[in-house]
Amino acid sequence: MMVMKDEKFIHVHDLHKRLGRQEVLRGFDLEVASGETVVILGRSGGGKSVFLKHIIGLMKPNSGEVFVDGQDVVKLSERQLAEVRKKVGILFQSAALFDSMSVEQNIAFPLHELGLKDRKEIDRKVAEALEMVDLAGEQKKMPENLSGGMRKRVGLARAIVGAPRCILYDEPTTGLDPIVADSINRLIRRLQKRLGVTSIVVTHDMKSAFHVADRIAYLHEGRIYFKGTPDELKAADDPLIQDFINGHSGEID
Amino acid sequence: MLIRYIGRNVISFVSYFGELMMLVFDSILSLFVAPIRWRLFLEQVLEVGFRSQLVVIVTGAFTGAVFAAQTYFQFHRLEMDSAVGAVVAVSMFRELGPVLMGLMVSGRVGAAMAAEIGTMKVTEQIDALRALGVYPVDYLVVPRLLAMVLSAPLLVAECCGIGILAGYFVGVVMMDIPGAYYVDYMMKFTGTRDVKMALSKGFVFALLIVFISCHQGLNAREGAVGVGRAPTEAVVIGSLAILISNFFLSLLLNVIFPLSTS
Repeated sequence: MMVMKDEKFIHVHDLHKRLGRQEVLRGFDLEVASGETVVILGRSGGGKSVFLKHIIGLMKPNSGEVFVDGQDVVKLSERQLAEVRKKVGILFQSAALFDSMSVEQNIAFPLHELGLKDRKEIDRKVAEALEMVDLAGEQKKMPENLSGGMRKRVGLARAIVGAPRCILYDEPTTGLDPIVADSINRLIRRLQKRLGVTSIVVTHDMKSAFHVADRIAYLHEGRIYFKGTPDELKAADDPLIQDFINGHSGEID
Repeated sequence: MLIRYIGRNVISFVSYFGELMMLVFDSILSLFVAPIRWRLFLEQVLEVGFRSQLVVIVTGAFTGAVFAAQTYFQFHRLEMDSAVGAVVAVSMFRELGPVLMGLMVSGRVGAAMAAEIGTMKVTEQIDALRALGVYPVDYLVVPRLLAMVLSAPLLVAECCGIGILAGYFVGVVMMDIPGAYYVDYMMKFTGTRDVKMALSKGFVFALLIVFISCHQGLNAREGAVGVGRAPTEAVVIGSLAILISNFFLSLLLNVIFPLSTS
């Protein structure tokens, strides 16, 4: 598939979100082109996950606009959102597998919702998705018998099985061993290259960020503080960014 | 101070009631605009209907038995032994059957619904459903609602039937009331109006249990404490709602299905 860099798949403008007394997002702006992978970096609790949830309308902003494929998500009702949500897959931080269903049923779930009926076709797609995340043959296991890393990969398989045009990754490599993390990074890359999938990756894993990103956005105090390519980020002489990249807390011993 | 305290409680009651009504409207809307998920419905019938039978049977049997025994002790002094069957049957249908079924099922099924949906809420499974384009009310509430509406009247009927049988056993077998008189009086004073009243109450209690429990689950707060509170509150609010509404239902249904004087 052709990668069209000029077409904006996601457009977020001046997003504000208050949770309780805390203002988590304070004028968040971001544009993501079709086929592009944008990594959002930032400290834990800085509103990265909250932002992701706004893209598919799981959260509604206090003000601001979110356009996905030309549709204003903020104005859509929960039932109208179903169409937008079928174009966008999401990997939750906790994987959020349905714990009453087996691995196979979890991954087949989006296919049933897309209206697929053919049993063989579904089995084939499930097997394919499991292979992509290095879990071939694990169809019958229940989520409670999986390790954290395996759950995340099943969650990823569920997110990609319906062939969405865009995938949102919430901390895809957090809590995984370096080897599995690397295979997840490669998978994100592969999905982008082969299928032209648009991706937003939220993480604080620097290695992962530099591996997968076309562009990196640094989130600080509810706003995008810095935007640029991985090389531009590395070269930035801003102390805030350098501290984050190098993992300095700023405290003096 | 007092006014503020009362005011706060009134506001929280009104907003709770509003949320509950929203869920009711949402569920009714869902029945019309979304396809019904029959597989989930059958699973729920198995869970809330079929598997609640043991609890309901035991409750019905011992309530009918003790009610027959107590009535006998009182009526025996007046030499009205043979009226025991009629008293047991009418009370089982009009009050005891539906209310006890409601309370037991609220404890068993309502708690489970609130706990299950609450756990799904805090583990992001409900968000996952939404993210996959599935509206949680369609998927979680409507199948439970339909299963309860089907099951509850049947469970009430079962509870009453077993209670009447147990009453017969206590009255006729244990207390030596002549069986023919026992049954004859019972049939004379019990009519379809009593059965209709039992089933109507069962239907209303089913609605109360489902909506209150699902609402508690869908609005569960984060963390173990939040998930733990959801079933507790579902059972407390559900039981109170059943007992309070039962009084008004009795008054209302008495007009619709009057107690016969014959």
